[in-house]
Amino acid sequence: MASVELRDVRKAYGALEVIHGVSLSIADGEFIALVGPSGCGKSTLLRMIAGLEDISHGEVAIGGTVVNALTPRERNIAMVFQSYALYPHMTVAENMGFNLKLSGVPKPEIRTRVAEAARMLALEELLERKPSQLSGGQRQRVAMGRAIVRDPAVFLFDEPLSNLDAKLRVAMRTEIKTLHQKVATTSVYVTHDQIEAMTLADRIVVLNGGRIEQVGTPLDLYRMPANLFVAGFIGSPAMNFLEAEVDGADGQPAARLSDGTLVHLDGSRKVRRGQQVQLGIRPEHLLAGQTGDTVLEGDTVVVEPTGAQTHIVFTLAGKPVTAVVDGAFPARHGTPFRASIAAPQVHVFDRASGLSL
Amino acid sequence: MKPATRLYLYLSLSLVACLVLVPLVTTALGGFKSLGDLRVNPFGLPEQWVWSNYTDILFGERYWRQMGNSLLIASVTVFLTVVVSAMAAFTFAHVKFFGAAQLMNYFLIGLMFPVATAILPLFIRIRDLGLLDSYWGVILPQVAFGLGMSILLFRNYFRNLPDELFQAAFVDGCGYIRFFWHVSLPLSRPIVATVSIVSFVNSWNSYILPLIMLNTETKYPWPLGIMVYRGEFGTEWQLVLAFITLTILPTVIVFFLAQKHIIAGLTAGAVKS
Repeated sequence: MASVELRDVRKAYGALEVIHGVSLSIADGEFIALVGPSGCGKSTLLRMIAGLEDISHGEVAIGGTVVNALTPRERNIAMVFQSYALYPHMTVAENMGFNLKLSGVPKPEIRTRVAEAARMLALEELLERKPSQLSGGQRQRVAMGRAIVRDPAVFLFDEPLSNLDAKLRVAMRTEIKTLHQKVATTSVYVTHDQIEAMTLADRIVVLNGGRIEQVGTPLDLYRMPANLFVAGFIGSPAMNFLEAEVDGADGQPAARLSDGTLVHLDGSRKVRRGQQVQLGIRPEHLLAGQTGDTVLEGDTVVVEPTGAQTHIVFTLAGKPVTAVVDGAFPARHGTPFRASIAAPQVHVFDRASGLSL
Repeated sequence: MKPATRLYLYLSLSLVACLVLVPLVTTALGGFKSLGDLRVNPFGLPEQWVWSNYTDILFGERYWRQMGNSLLIASVTVFLTVVVSAMAAFTFAHVKFFGAAQLMNYFLIGLMFPVATAILPLFIRIRDLGLLDSYWGVILPQVAFGLGMSILLFRNYFRNLPDELFQAAFVDGCGYIRFFWHVSLPLSRPIVATVSIVSFVNSWNSYILPLIMLNTETKYPWPLGIMVYRGEFGTEWQLVLAFITLTILPTVIVFFLAQKHIIAGLTAGAVKS
């Protein structure tokens, strides 16, 4: 187990820089998720920690030692790949014990450690099978077994659940979390799925275009997104954004939408009259039919029942706005929809810089 | 399938099968005939089954010695071809280095030249190396001429192995050599079989190289052995045919044993597995 430290890490392919100076401290035993859209550099960053990609500039330290020049094996890391990357010609036990065999661990010890890992992951029955005889979830467990057998300093996960179907993904998510609670090894987990990141990680790193947008606990990111990008990325369904102009009324800040609707803002927002802003409203904070600080109204365009909840899309100031209401709410296409929102739950972002105000 | 399609398939496949089988059967049957019978009745069944054509060859020393020579030359050729081309192809598939593409093309150019075109310079080189009239004088040129095709087949196969497999092995502590040995090679059984069979058959049937390089009759492989039945004034065709039948038998058997692998290897990479 070890801490991981990234200091101004950059990656360039020729003249094209894809990671622009990332600095990050990961504490010993912490579970960190790297999230971001495709091409944001999260996998590249992970592979740089792993030693599969050269580091163009900056330093990566594992357990206090700078590892830039070390091979993946010398860094003592274990990696779980999206496609599992099991060796097709080896049995499950051989797959799990391969790295121990390469490092010259005596056979009886390999057997003990493989058996131990297999017990932890409920793979005991499958040890003599080949990967082709396993289901997707079982293969993923073997890939994780291969990682824990060697007792590495850091676990690296590269979108490990993307190849699984939705139900299995949820089950495996729980397994990864349980596993981490058991072995408490420092873990870095790359995913594009923000739900996975929210549920698993101690802290989330949101990446965009090779830069860190924000680092924080899942709830911090949800409650206090630093900018428009994080606000739009974290949360499902995604946050609604509305263009507005700040217009103070009765000493309390407010913002006026293009159709004239006045939205009350929290007093702590650092806004000035006339400022062009972007309002962020989470669909789950819109309360149907009730009266709050601000009441918003529009025609229902789309109704999407999901069972427990219903997603309603209505038009406000010419833009579609999504609200999440109780599944029992009587919503119909074409009817007017009325929802309210409390002032503290309206996020305000500067339109020019995108930063939270 | 429509009956017309089925009929067409059966007819065309039968025709192709005939093209392959008629010469083989004619050869095998011809070995049972007397020379006169062969002259007047080349394709039919023998008038009188002359078993001695076959038994004389089988119980003679020369046949076994020449088969042994052929086997030795072919086995060493196969071994060297597989080892050298697999390692070269692995390098081309996984290691980026300056001039890799040029070097690869250089190997592939070798595909354009049959041995016969280079026979004179080859002879001079082998003579200068002092390998004339030795097995190595035949084996080394055969390996060299087999490399182009073998590297091509191996490289395409290695390239199609998933990248993540290599990365996983790298994280597990493999370098290039261990990855080659522990992962690439065990996964390449079909392509190893294909390359082995192709180079074995080429070596087994090779005529011109041994003819030029070997002088001692005890070192002759079987294709040179046929020359014994050619006299100054006539050829004993029935013995030639019997001899050929007995010598191609092993390759036919090997092909049937390995045909699954050969076909899998040739089409590997053409479709996603």
